Amino acid sequence: MAAVEMKSVGAALLSPERIQSTAVWMGTVLLAAWAGVTVPGFASSANISAIMYSTSAVGIAAVGMAFITLSGNLFMLSMGATAAVSTIVFASCLHLGLLPSIAVVVLVGALFGLAQGMAVGVFKTNPIITTIAMASIITGAGSFYSGGLTVVGQGDASWLAIGRMAGIPNQIVLFLLAALVFSFIVERTRFGRELRLIGLNPKAAHFTGLRVGRALVIAYVLAAAAAAFAGALYGSQAAQGNLKLGAGLDFDAIAAVLVGGVAIKGGQGRILDAAIGAVFLAIITNILLLKGLSLEIQLIVKGLVVIASVILGALALGARK
Amino acid sequence: MSTATLLRIALLIALIIVFASWNPAFVSGRNIYALMQSFALLGLVALGLSLTMIAGEFDLSVGSMVAVGGLLTLVTGESNLAYGMCVAFAFAVAIGAANAFVVSRFNVSSLVVTVGSMMALSGFAFWLAGGKVISTDNFDPGFALDNPILTIFSWRSLITLAAFLLAGLFTRHTLMGRDIRVIGSKRLVAAASGAKVGLSLFIVFIISALCAAMAGSLLSMSLASAAATTGSNLMLQAVSAAIVGGVALSGGSGSPLHVLIGSLILTVMNNGLSLMGMGATGILFANGLVLMGIVLLDGQLGAWMSERFAASRARHSA
Repeated sequence: MAAVEMKSVGAALLSPERIQSTAVWMGTVLLAAWAGVTVPGFASSANISAIMYSTSAVGIAAVGMAFITLSGNLFMLSMGATAAVSTIVFASCLHLGLLPSIAVVVLVGALFGLAQGMAVGVFKTNPIITTIAMASIITGAGSFYSGGLTVVGQGDASWLAIGRMAGIPNQIVLFLLAALVFSFIVERTRFGRELRLIGLNPKAAHFTGLRVGRALVIAYVLAAAAAAFAGALYGSQAAQGNLKLGAGLDFDAIAAVLVGGVAIKGGQGRILDAAIGAVFLAIITNILLLKGLSLEIQLIVKGLVVIASVILGALALGARK
Repeated sequence: MSTATLLRIALLIALIIVFASWNPAFVSGRNIYALMQSFALLGLVALGLSLTMIAGEFDLSVGSMVAVGGLLTLVTGESNLAYGMCVAFAFAVAIGAANAFVVSRFNVSSLVVTVGSMMALSGFAFWLAGGKVISTDNFDPGFALDNPILTIFSWRSLITLAAFLLAGLFTRHTLMGRDIRVIGSKRLVAAASGAKVGLSLFIVFIISALCAAMAGSLLSMSLASAAATTGSNLMLQAVSAAIVGGVALSGGSGSPLHVLIGSLILTVMNNGLSLMGMGATGILFANGLVLMGIVLLDGQLGAWMSERFAASRARHSA
């Protein structure tokens, strides 16, 4: 009985749909093990905590981005702008206290998401162009608000910035929590099932009476709220807000989603795949950093990793046919 | 010319009249020259991008390609800018071909492929620049490119206009141009009826990368400097210009003439707003609003409105 179960689990892990994410799961473990042995300084506690800090904001944005990708709408290119403006909102609310400022940030982010979700889900606009347009609207609004200046937060954000629970940074705890909650939403709720069905076949979803518009609006709201929350993490670390902080979040989140093995055609993949993708990229970036390669080279490598994983995903799907 | 095209020309003229009555300096020779200089940059990028859109694809990497084109020209052309320009163009052809190869060979959405190349190119641009602004002491090509011709033109804006003319002739009068339009609207039908899908994709992605690199290369010579962040907002403006001109996001429709009108509308708008004292982020905001407005019209809202329009016209004629 147990053997049969093991076999079916093995078959599921190696099925064409899952093979890329399985490979990345294993790749992450192997890469970490290899780097721990051969890369000097990798396994030090300071470095591991650095990896955790660089994973958390990107990871939270990536699990949010996964909603959009699962729904078949590719990516949300306004996440960087949302996060950047959120650092400003966070810093300028911080005198109210940490929790209220996080709440304001997430609420503002959710409103940005609502606007985009309405456009894409209800008015059937092109998702990529809508989020590109929204990115410049958000950036413009943020710069009106801040006057293009850096806003310094007046208050204590240290719980979010450097706080730890049982030795684990609060940020990484929040990332794990977000990944688990978002994963639960996709795997176990009616909204999650609808979202994946919409991603698999939008026309069929419409004709079978799924609440397509509603599901897409929720997806965009959750994704934008996640991006805004990631902005709050950046804002807490820098204790200030400006439009440069978090501006590159789009690419990191997209890279994590694609590398993790969420299918770009929609409907296939899991939230946790995006989370693992974020961890994998954080480890690669960290190794490149320890090897003394510049940020620019890291960006090139990320771009190439994205293209490679897209090709891999396409080949795996091709093998199924 | 269709009604829609005439409407867009009317919009362009209306914008010019509004801005000119607001501030007469708008129609001064000096301002029209400045306007044409920004058109020289935006128009070229929009033209290349719009060809991929007409073919039903999208090239997100044009913005970073502008930066790479400019930097490559100056970095490799230290002693001879013409050589640097050739390097930039050759690199663009290679990247365009690589984009097209992945899109057509693996049948992956071009949005996804070019997100990857956008990241990689942007990293390459930062690496080339090494964290600073690259400059050259060779000002002569810049002076030659920007020297006013007939008060309002320069070689740079004339090159962009010539590119539009060439692209117009290419899409209208060649078989390949027809193939590009057909694969944009009905890919499978086009393939079945013998359109060269793969080759068309290679051509549009190569032209798109080449136009962007050329825009960056010419700009860097004219400024005698280049930075990795050049062109970061150009993709937004280029796609706006294309759809303002009437290139559909769903592919298959639009022409270089449309993109020319769209680019002029956007350049006039941005120039007029900045003449009214609006800053760069304000203009970015305005561009975002315009783009948002157009995508809404491009989607369900537009369909609903044209339905209502047709219905009311039917009622009136009855």
